[in-house]
Amino acid sequence: MAKAAELESRAFITGNEVVARAALAAGADCMFGYPITPQNEIMHHWRRLAPQQGRLFMQTEDELSAGFATIGAVIGGKACFSATAGPGTVLFQEPLSMAEMMRLPVVVVVQQRGGPSTATVIYSQQELNLVCFGGNGEGLRLVYSTGSHQELYDYTIKAFHMAWRYRFPTFVLGDGYQAKMREPLQLYDPAERGFGPIPKEPIFGSVRGEGEKPLLHLRNSFSVEEELSEVLGRHLEDYARAAPELVEHEFLGGAGGELLVVAHGIVGRAARQAVRELRAAGRRVNFFRPITLRPFPEEALRQALEMSGGAVLVAESAQGQLGKLVRLAAAEWGRPRYRTLYRPGVGITAEDIAAEIEEAILA
Amino acid sequence: MRPWKIVAAGEGGQGIQALAETLALAAYRAGLQSLYIPNFGIEQRGGVSLAFVQISPAPIGSPKFLRADLVAALSPRALRRSGQYLGPETFLLYDNSLIDAPQISDEVVGLQSYDTIAPEAFAERSSYRDRRPAVEAPSRCLVAVAASDLARQRLHPRVFNMIILGAIVEITGAVTLEQVKEALEEKLDRRFKKDPRLREHNFAALELGAAAVKEKATAQA
Repeated sequence: MAKAAELESRAFITGNEVVARAALAAGADCMFGYPITPQNEIMHHWRRLAPQQGRLFMQTEDELSAGFATIGAVIGGKACFSATAGPGTVLFQEPLSMAEMMRLPVVVVVQQRGGPSTATVIYSQQELNLVCFGGNGEGLRLVYSTGSHQELYDYTIKAFHMAWRYRFPTFVLGDGYQAKMREPLQLYDPAERGFGPIPKEPIFGSVRGEGEKPLLHLRNSFSVEEELSEVLGRHLEDYARAAPELVEHEFLGGAGGELLVVAHGIVGRAARQAVRELRAAGRRVNFFRPITLRPFPEEALRQALEMSGGAVLVAESAQGQLGKLVRLAAAEWGRPRYRTLYRPGVGITAEDIAAEIEEAILA
Repeated sequence: MRPWKIVAAGEGGQGIQALAETLALAAYRAGLQSLYIPNFGIEQRGGVSLAFVQISPAPIGSPKFLRADLVAALSPRALRRSGQYLGPETFLLYDNSLIDAPQISDEVVGLQSYDTIAPEAFAERSSYRDRRPAVEAPSRCLVAVAASDLARQRLHPRVFNMIILGAIVEITGAVTLEQVKEALEEKLDRRFKKDPRLREHNFAALELGAAAVKEKATAQA
């Protein structure tokens, strides 16, 4: 692994390079991937940097293959990841469903582009449903939504640790803007921030059995309903137990708020700026950003609602994918008054959100 | 310093992205918050190339914005395309000598990989923003620099974008020419070593652009 001094530095690079450097710093062993814009440079940078440190890269023939190759390496005890976007995220659902069933700590970075289908190579927040609930299962996944290069670095490193600690497939959800833009961030050696080595181990057990764990029968097919129910029941219990330890969010504001602005990822950043400016001008507007989309920080959202008088503005570059999660979480609180700023596949600026807030408060 | 939101727009191949990235890098090296994002699409050449740069002493919000503090528009259709970012206070920097769009080769500047956007008519039609006629900015905010002519006659067509960058530096004062030169050294290190004349041309172009703006300001005063 690179020396601490080499890692402790500031950088002004693209988000895709940030991800590659984070995976390297985290101690990831390998990446399998297939090109798709806007994530290509994750592969390019990993391919350029990783072999110098004895890490592996292989370009597979498609995303299905990249996903299953990643699964294979993970079963063998390697911290392995992939990156994709758009239609690639669709193809990843089959291997990811298997990873969910087998509880495999696969890490996938998704840089969202416009959808459905090929749509644009540029930007969206339309892959939330897909990364949270895309499989033919119950969405037993951990999803981090980042909003800056620093977070891309922090959460890519964290993703490996949480995936291996809790054994759920883990996503870092970025987007085309984060992928392609440049802004400053602090690179660091994870060891100096309390991260030990990734808690990885061979999952399959050892064929030779040399004092290691015995062979394990990992199953993703079952003969009878009850059998599946029993296994899945345990997974669901694990997930529910882990959720309070996993959820993360950001809140800005306080009690007596007139409105709660909810946004995630890069739109969260626009919302934060708008809320900051309006608060500085004396408006009592609050801001809530889920960092984990799955599990969703439901309790924290309800508290934020309570402090904001039950008036909500949800802003996202999708047609209500975040909105749905907010409504579900809020249902237990009561009946908030909703406003929405939905722009599927299109960027949202701080000015857009500020204008929407002004309207909401005047309305 | 005040924060600056800057849009640079030109033809693919004019070196718009290299210009924007150099400016953002210089601001970062100067210890400021700095964010650069290209408007990228599926084409690699042709069409209008747009870049967004924000420089601020405070944390920066969304990577794109509705109103710019400075628009540098370097071809007629780039002017049309970037008109939506003009507000009453926006500086508009444009090249009043442009007949042929100068080309900048990868050899010199490189970094043009995201130079394009969707086909023109489509991009304009699908825009969410309200559009206003392009050159409606008050004249005190208009800055004309004959960058294309200056580059061709005094230096080399390829350093056209550095003349514009020099002009931007002079208008905004967000960074110094020295800081931009250091950023260029960092970006073009290998090429400068291979051919020191590139450094001379690029640096001279920066000075030329800054001087052109300064002259105008003096003449107006």
